[in-house]
Amino acid sequence: MIHLDDVTVVVPASRRREPDRTLLSTITLTLSQQRICIIGANGSGKSTLLRLLNGLRLPTTGTVTAGGFDTATHGRQVRTRVGFIFTDPLAQLVMSTPVEDVELSLRGRIKGRANRATEAMRLLEERTLGHLAHQSIHDLSGGERQLVALTSVLAVEPEIIVADEPTTLLDLRNKLALRETFAALPQQLIFSTHDMDVASDAERVLVVDDGKLVADGEPAAAISFYERSMAGTR
Amino acid sequence: MNAHANVLGFHEPGDGWLFRWPVGAKYLLMLAIVIPALAMVQWQVSLGALVCTMVFLVTSGISVARSLRLGWMMWSLLAVLALFHLATLAPVSAFVRPGNLLVAVLCARMLTLTTPTPELMDALVSVLAPLRPLGVNPDQVALAVALMIRSIPYLLGTVDDARAAARARGLERNPALLLTPVIIGAVAYAERSGEALAARGIGERPLAD
Repeated sequence: MIHLDDVTVVVPASRRREPDRTLLSTITLTLSQQRICIIGANGSGKSTLLRLLNGLRLPTTGTVTAGGFDTATHGRQVRTRVGFIFTDPLAQLVMSTPVEDVELSLRGRIKGRANRATEAMRLLEERTLGHLAHQSIHDLSGGERQLVALTSVLAVEPEIIVADEPTTLLDLRNKLALRETFAALPQQLIFSTHDMDVASDAERVLVVDDGKLVADGEPAAAISFYERSMAGTR
Repeated sequence: MNAHANVLGFHEPGDGWLFRWPVGAKYLLMLAIVIPALAMVQWQVSLGALVCTMVFLVTSGISVARSLRLGWMMWSLLAVLALFHLATLAPVSAFVRPGNLLVAVLCARMLTLTTPTPELMDALVSVLAPLRPLGVNPDQVALAVALMIRSIPYLLGTVDDARAAARARGLERNPALLLTPVIIGAVAYAERSGEALAARGIGERPLAD
């Protein structure tokens, strides 16, 4: 479970005479449901909110705790429990081939290279990626890269997965495949999206607008609120 | 040729004799080929080293084409080096200098094409382990080296992308337009790599505002 208590995130202005920018303002939340989705317009604060959840970004004021650990003081403990998936999987994959990338994730918990290599192959095959294990990550499709990125994050055995617009760069086929994969995960999943079909997979939907939480509830009601508010701003 | 065709290449499983050799032996073989060529600066030695390296690669099951897939940038660098020495009326240097560089790169490829990166990391951790009392963290050094190997093709790719973008606007002759996006891309890449490691809880600090 993740808890945000009166969290505000402010970044300094890029020019001297301009005021500082508030990315998120006084957010208090408890995230306990298995599937939680965050929706909002571009620049509304979705990514900032997600990055707070595993300590990739720290709050300016307020506290964020995951599994009882404060992200500001126990970042490492938080990040081993909360895995993060980026929009662009190429930014996530740090090694040259899928098997090497998954092996890197396993270095923290499995001793011996042979054991890690075997486990990495097993994890890739589990996601039907075994045939791609030794290909350059540059030669994989967007969907394949996103599945490899997910496999690498899952290899750390996180209790919670946070995904920032994981389907944005995917075609319809890969999007459907990723939705199925996400649905089958036993972990708590907190994700953002611009796709309302994907959002409706969640049990709870949060709507962020201009750094504030403006709606929070059942998918149908929250999505309807968001669509009305977007239509009103046109 | 795509610049993502990595100067160092990447490992694909194989059953050739170099694939079966331990990393340490491959390091020694690499040094045994490169050091005489660099130290003696004679065309016969450079030629011998080049032939040896290619023979070792090919007899290990790595084709000539794959062995020499260094990317346009490395080949351009070698050509410029050769042309420079030819222009200064030093035909022997025109072969030896780029030849030795090619030997060094091919020897490095001999290691990286036949050894998985995690195995290279483990070897580095073992070698650096005695330095732990001096405050050296072998795991972090090995991770840094692995990231460096991974970053080379990416950074070469950004040069390629910047060239294509400049060419699309008819601005390919302006070096500033090439350099600026490459530098910005390199910094952004470093930041993203740090975040990617942090996202998996692999040795880092959170990004503070």
